[in-house]
Parts: sequence; structure tokens; C-alpha cells
Amino acid sequence: METLGVLFSIGPFGITRTVVTTWGIMLVLGLGSWLATRRLSVDRPGLLQSALEGVVQAVEAAIAVVLPGRAGLLLPFVGTLWLFVAMANLTGLIPGLHGPTGDLSTAAALAILVFLSVHWYGIRSGGLGQYLRHYMAPSPILLPFHLLGELSRTLALAVRLFGNIMSLEMAALLVLLVAGLLVPVPLLMLHVVEALVQAYIFGMLALIYIAGGMQSQAAQEFPAAQEKGRTA
Amino acid sequence: MEIDWTTFALEIINFLVLVWILKRFLYRPVLDTLAQRRAGVERTLAEAREIEARAKALQEQYESRLADWEEEKARARGHLDAELTLERSRQMQVLGETLAEERQRNAAVDAHERQRIERAHEISAMAQAQRFTATLLTRLASPAIEARLVDLLLEDWSGLPEPQFAVLRGAAEAEGAGVVVTSAFPLAPEQQRRISAAVGARMRQLAVSFREDPQLLSGLRLSIGPWHLSLNFADELAGFAAASNHVDR
Repeated sequence: METLGVLFSIGPFGITRTVVTTWGIMLVLGLGSWLATRRLSVDRPGLLQSALEGVVQAVEAAIAVVLPGRAGLLLPFVGTLWLFVAMANLTGLIPGLHGPTGDLSTAAALAILVFLSVHWYGIRSGGLGQYLRHYMAPSPILLPFHLLGELSRTLALAVRLFGNIMSLEMAALLVLLVAGLLVPVPLLMLHVVEALVQAYIFGMLALIYIAGGMQSQAAQEFPAAQEKGRTA
Repeated sequence: MEIDWTTFALEIINFLVLVWILKRFLYRPVLDTLAQRRAGVERTLAEAREIEARAKALQEQYESRLADWEEEKARARGHLDAELTLERSRQMQVLGETLAEERQRNAAVDAHERQRIERAHEISAMAQAQRFTATLLTRLASPAIEARLVDLLLEDWSGLPEPQFAVLRGAAEAEGAGVVVTSAFPLAPEQQRRISAAVGARMRQLAVSFREDPQLLSGLRLSIGPWHLSLNFADELAGFAAASNHVDR
């Protein structure tokens, strides 16, 4: 699938449909959040507030399962990943719109963000030296493999999301062209499920990568602590 | 399948902006609300625990006080029982004494009442005997009985001891009076003569006069000054009545 066309330009930058759709998603999410959280009640939450609280608590609980005690730190990034990817995947269901995640540029941008966030949270958690040392563990010989793993998983993250969403949209388009109006409905249902599953997978993988970056230092410190205890 | 680097860069910026927006307008308000609710629940729980602790303390205090009260009550009851026993024995003793006194008083009252009844019976019997005797003597009264009584009077007169005659004589001289003989029936001359002879034999210088008084029923009364020597039914009955009155007193 080729890159979506440029709608207009701002100076030398061409604004594609993907970016405009993303702005629309941002507008919907931002405005919806603002409207939904304007009058939150502590004592008598309404239906919408209860649903929002349920979503936020579910995301927080999922993060807490992987990284106990760090849910508050990772909630904005990981929660936004889940919400944005899910919304972006589902946008493809709207006639005339293409999901931003069906564009390799968006998938790559999200993958790069995950790649950078792994290092950001890892360095923030244990310091730069400590973080860099984990690439040498357990042996400096493994450094190239670590670096290769970082790059490959980032690439896999981007391509997995892009490939799944692009193929879904293409399959739906092909079935619609071949079989008529009602036949694609089951495929669209599958699209909904697949969109949510892909969002969950993307967010969960990002969470696991970040947690791996943060916990690898702890794993490094643990043998040292054990050695220290033995000598004492 | 190309990457548009402008789109790539804008998508990175868009996502970071979206992170900020959602953090500002979704996560933070919702988490703050949840934290407030959690704090409220914790506060309510803390208050509930505090109230529970206070209630338990109050309950323990109450139970302790209740136990103290029970102990004090038992002690007071024992003291009260002892006092009641003592008071009962004292009251019983007082009652016994009172009853004994009352019994004695009743016995005295009963004895007095018995005496009074016996006296009333005696008086009644005496009165009845007096009435009976009076009725009987009234029916028996006659000149023959009176003649017999004259004889008896003369016997009694002659049988009086000398000192009594001396007293009679002294009284007659002091009063300057004679001897008055009162009879229920008219006396025969022979009877008057015998009486005058008997009086003259012992009281020589005194005059003897005779009178009649039917109220004497039968018999005589011999009067010397304030002294009377009676032997008639009326005076005997009067003496009988006087004896009855004496018994009554």
C-alpha cells in the first residue's frame, strides 16, 4: 500500500491524510476527555465517569501486573499508546477514512517512540552508566546481539502493526469489491476484533520492552548484591 | 510502502502532544478523583475504625462499670440483708415486748371487766334480793309481827352495854330531847307501858313519846337525839340497800 496522499502543505512540509486523521483522533480524544472529566464526582459517579474510571484503572492494573509500583509513571505513555492505536485501527472502519496505523510512517513513528521510551525510562530508572552496562551483561560479546535485538524488535513492532492493519483494510476492500455490500460485514467484525487485539499487542509489547529495560538493571544489580552478601 | 518523513515526524509530535493532552485531561483528573475517593474511603474507614475502637472502649468501660455496679449491688444487697435481718429481729423483739405488754394490759382489762361484771351481777342480785325481801316483808307486815318485833327490841335494849347507854344519855342531855318511839302500827297500851318501863329503867329522867309511821312497814324505831335504835322492816331494808351500795362502791 502506498503512502497516503498529501492534502495540503505548510511550507515545505506536506500534510498527508494520515496526519489529518491523527489530528481528528487527537481532537476526539482530547475533547472527549475534557468533556468527560469536566464534572467528575467523588461521591456519585455517573455512567460515563464509571466507564472512564474503569478504563483507566484497567490500564493501570495491567501496567502494575508487569511493573509493580511503576504504574503511575508509565500510565500516560502506555495508556495513550493503547487508546491511540485502538482508535487509529478502528478509524479504518469509517468509510472514506484510512486508519493512521495502516500507514508505515505512523507505525514506524510509534515504534521509534517505543524504542526511545525504552531507553528513556531505563536511563531514568537506573542512570545512564548502569543502563548502558546491561548491554554488556552477562558478557561484552553479547553487545552486538543486544543491539541487533533492539533494532529488530523495533522493526518488528512497526511492521507487525502496519502489516496487520494494512492487510485488514485491503482484505475488506477486496471483499467489498468482489462480493457486494453485505458480505464484508463479518470481515468488518473481524476488523474490530483485530484492531483491538493489535492495539493490545502493541501496547503490551511496548510495556514489556520498557519493563525489560527497567528491570534488566535490577537483574544486573541482583548478582552483585548476592556476591556482596557472600563476601560479607 | 514508503515512509514519509514529514508524516513520520509529525506523527511523533502528534503522539507526544496526545500523551500530554490525555495526561492533562484524562488520566490526572480521573486518578485524582480515584485518589480522592480512595482517601475518602480511607478516611471513612479510619473514622469507622476510630468509632469502633471508641465503641469498644466504651463497651469495655461500660462492662467494667457494670461489673463494678454488680459487685457494689451485691455488697449493698448483703449489707441491706444484714440490716434487714437485724431490723427484723429488733422489730420482732419490740413486737414481742409490745404484744406481752398488750397481753398484760388486755389481761388487766379483762380482769377489771370481769370484776365489773361480777360486781354488776352482785348489785343486780342484791337489788333483786332487796326487791324480793321488800315485797316479802311488805306482805308479811302485820301487828303480830310488830308485837314480836317489840319484844325483840326490848331484848336488844336491855342487852345493850352500859357504855352505850352512857353515850345515849349524854346525847339526850346535850340535845335536851326525850325518847321518841315510832311504830308502823298503833301500839297497844301494854306495849307502850313495857317500852316506857324499859326506857325508864335505863334512862330515868327522859320522857317517852309515841308516834306512828306506816312507812316503817312493821316494827319500831327508838330515837334519842341523833341516835336511833331500829328494829323495823323499812330500816332493815334501808340497811340492806346501804350494804348493796357499799358493795357497788
